[in-house]
Amino acid sequence: MKDFDLEGLSREMPYKMPEHFLDDMTERVVSQIGKQRKQNRERKIVALFASAASVAAVALLFIHPFGGGLDIPDYENISQCASIDELFQNMTADELGVYSMMSNYYGN
Amino acid sequence: MKREESNIVNSQGSLTVSDESIARLLCDDSHVEEAVRLIMKKYGEPLYWHIRRMVVAHDDAEDCLQETMINVYKYRSTYSNEYPLSSWLYKIATNESLKLLKNRAGFTMSVDDLGDSLKDSVREEAGPNADETLVLLQEAIALLPAKQKMVFNLRYYDDKSYEEIHQIVGDSVNTLKTNYHYAVQKIKDYILEHQL
Repeated sequence: MKDFDLEGLSREMPYKMPEHFLDDMTERVVSQIGKQRKQNRERKIVALFASAASVAAVALLFIHPFGGGLDIPDYENISQCASIDELFQNMTADELGVYSMMSNYYGN
Repeated sequence: MKREESNIVNSQGSLTVSDESIARLLCDDSHVEEAVRLIMKKYGEPLYWHIRRMVVAHDDAEDCLQETMINVYKYRSTYSNEYPLSSWLYKIATNESLKLLKNRAGFTMSVDDLGDSLKDSVREEAGPNADETLVLLQEAIALLPAKQKMVFNLRYYDDKSYEEIHQIVGDSVNTLKTNYHYAVQKIKDYILEHQL
């Protein structure tokens, strides 16, 4: 039976690799990696600033720059509600009707 | 690490830097580009030929090699010195080659159905003056199923041991030996059938 001596065959390839191909490839890969590293660094910086900004924003909600806290109206204090009484007094009968209907609707 | 350790070129001009040194540089963010250069210097050519034997066309081999090296950078943290660096590199290159072939095969075909088109590419890529027996050998390899092709190439051209091929391909040594045996038989049959 015929046999073929594969082991005795040259390990050469019938193709060629273009000249300077590996050097060009190395430069291309290194440049691409450089770009990716730069992008990663920029992303890290942006993420760092974003988290710092979030922390600062949350802190500002609770800390007034002049130490006075947030300027939230005190609706428990009746003197601040005096203007609301005036508002009711100036309402027409129709407006009071609408207000009463809306109050009933929203349960207040 | 010491600088002189990483760039040793012997009198024949080949790089003698150890894989351990390259792996250490690769994991060090400030030396990663140097590590990639060293890998290209030491393994660029064997990896190129390994890929090219799988995908045949130079343009495809170029894309695969580039992706391989980018993946080396991206996934460098996954490298474990449990295996040799070369096996890890060959594994990435093999996966990239298979990925390209799978994309080419699409949803309707398998990679193993690409044999005839790869065989046709062999003659185109080889050119008219190429050695006929070498062309026949590549045609026979192109017609092999992907697994047999990988095992045959790694053993026949890259002189890898079955243990190393196991690290790259993942199958058991006995399965690899069977694949190699079948591949050799098919190649011999093809060459005997087509040789003038």
